[in-house]
Amino acid sequence: MERSDVRSLYLLAAFLVCAYAMPFLVGAWAGTVRLDERWLGNLATVVVGGVMQGGVYAMFALGLTLIFGVMRIINAAHGEMVMMGAYLTWVAFFYLGVDPLLSIVLTLPIAFVFGVVVQKLLLDAAVGAPELTGLLITFGLGLAMIYTAELIFTTDFRTIPYAPGTVQLTSAIAVGQNRVISFVLAVAISTAVYLFLKLSRLGKAVRATALNAEVAMVCGIDVRRIYLITTGLAAALAVAGGALVSIQFGFNPETGVLYTLQAFAIIVLGGRGHYVGALIGGLMLAVLENLVSLMVPNGTAMVELAAYGLMISVLLIRPGGLMGVKEG
Amino acid sequence: MTRVEHLRNLALLGACAVALAILPHALTVYLRSFVLFTMMYVVLALSWNIISGFTGYTSFGHVAFYGIGAYACAILVADYRWHWLPTLGVGAVLAAVVGVAIGYPVLRLKGPYFAIAMLGAAEGTRVVATVWDGLTHGGLGISLPSAETSLETYDAMLVLMLLTIVVAYGVGHSRFGVRLNAIREDEVAAEALGINATLYKLTAFTLSAVFPAVAGGIQAYKVLYIDPPSVFFVQITIAMALMSMLGGKGTVIGPIVGAMLLYTAQELTWVNFPTAHLIAYGLFIVLVARFMPRGLMGFAIDRGWVRKGMIH
Repeated sequence: MERSDVRSLYLLAAFLVCAYAMPFLVGAWAGTVRLDERWLGNLATVVVGGVMQGGVYAMFALGLTLIFGVMRIINAAHGEMVMMGAYLTWVAFFYLGVDPLLSIVLTLPIAFVFGVVVQKLLLDAAVGAPELTGLLITFGLGLAMIYTAELIFTTDFRTIPYAPGTVQLTSAIAVGQNRVISFVLAVAISTAVYLFLKLSRLGKAVRATALNAEVAMVCGIDVRRIYLITTGLAAALAVAGGALVSIQFGFNPETGVLYTLQAFAIIVLGGRGHYVGALIGGLMLAVLENLVSLMVPNGTAMVELAAYGLMISVLLIRPGGLMGVKEG
Repeated sequence: MTRVEHLRNLALLGACAVALAILPHALTVYLRSFVLFTMMYVVLALSWNIISGFTGYTSFGHVAFYGIGAYACAILVADYRWHWLPTLGVGAVLAAVVGVAIGYPVLRLKGPYFAIAMLGAAEGTRVVATVWDGLTHGGLGISLPSAETSLETYDAMLVLMLLTIVVAYGVGHSRFGVRLNAIREDEVAAEALGINATLYKLTAFTLSAVFPAVAGGIQAYKVLYIDPPSVFFVQITIAMALMSMLGGKGTVIGPIVGAMLLYTAQELTWVNFPTAHLIAYGLFIVLVARFMPRGLMGFAIDRGWVRKGMIH
């Protein structure tokens, strides 16, 4: 690493320490921080819950980072794909009576095909074009998805009651069963995708295309096919993320937008195109969000601000993120 | 372009101005506000085009300035009993200050990073407007004292639009504009030729921030009620980008034509298909970006209807 590279890493680390200290300071000032046993228990619960939530974030951020890494396209419809996953799971649960976790087996192929079709019809034209083209195409797609969902499902918030019990980790720390299940599944799926990318021939071809599409082409890789697989995989990850989101939180057609920005904050923090970075970024963002919602008054709106603030600051301090791909 | 052509364009603009100034007296209130909003979108698309079309930095958060202008007007009129005209100036100054403050750091980013940072900045501004109860009344929004405003706001928007067109045209045909284009084509090469890219980008960005703020202020006084989701609406940014792209970004006439066409189309579909129009709108964005990223001007250039390699 060059010296300036190391310096920006230190700067970023210092910034992150400040970012994590911020909710505590605000909390101390607003009087929501009390150093008794019950509050410390709450704090630990929130941190553990954040880690669990972060696993799910990391999974759908992985999809966004795949598309961005391979094709340099920002998929502004990523959050809508998460939302689509939530609704597919909801339909499977209430109309077909399928268990939300089992339904992943059903929805993943649908999502993969959806991704392939989107790539074939729309995104192939945006590869290598100015970023506005890809942004507008995916944003328009996202809008069409949102309002189609509104037409079918209305804007009501939906939830899926699933595994409502809690898991008692210690006497003070209790985490919802659904969160634990989601976390385990998210880690399993992310690991599977990661191993696929690292070990299989096809996965290596995807990574080669991300590094340099032209050289990959010269080496005999069918780049167009890799693009199809990338977007298919990304859509599948988003939809799986949606399934896991749907058993934890309420959702409506418009919740997708926030997920897009969160996923983007995560990949910026972790380093674009960096798969382990996405995991770390997901955990960090979710923990920070939970700390903010615990201590800062007016928490729910401030949670959003945490994601945007983190994203912009990281972009300014070190555009490559924690795992440092040097690029502005 | 020759002097004669500049004079011809100026005469054309003057003729349009006179026609638009007389027009409202012959229109119903509905049509009057339709023309007003069309003019507003012309302003928005043209100013977005200064930073994103001429300079090539795709701003995906320009609605922030529009919202700031709207809030400046609403707060000063509703809470401090100002006359509404001076508030537009306050909004413009505020947007310029915020533009420099956001632009100076963020313009160092390139391509998709800049776009997404601007999106984050705009969403962040919306959250601040929601949370800062004491100043902005939070999520409740602000109601302005009601008044019959359709003629005043119409005239103000007309003046603003003419001003924006003149400024955009002036920028496009000046050395300043040529330098912005050079930055768009190759920033490193432009800097090597002695262009102070940072200064030029920042100037273009600030310039493109001011007009949306004034438009936002006029709009707030026109509709008499604003709240954070409506004036920091992401789709307003998208509309600016789409209108410019539809007409042809990087030109002057392109965003004007794009704004008129798209706003009319939006209004017609909205009236005729109240439920499905937003789906159609989404698909329309996809189609324009997919099949005609160079816009109508690109189409016309390909067919030899207009000269290539110029800003029209």
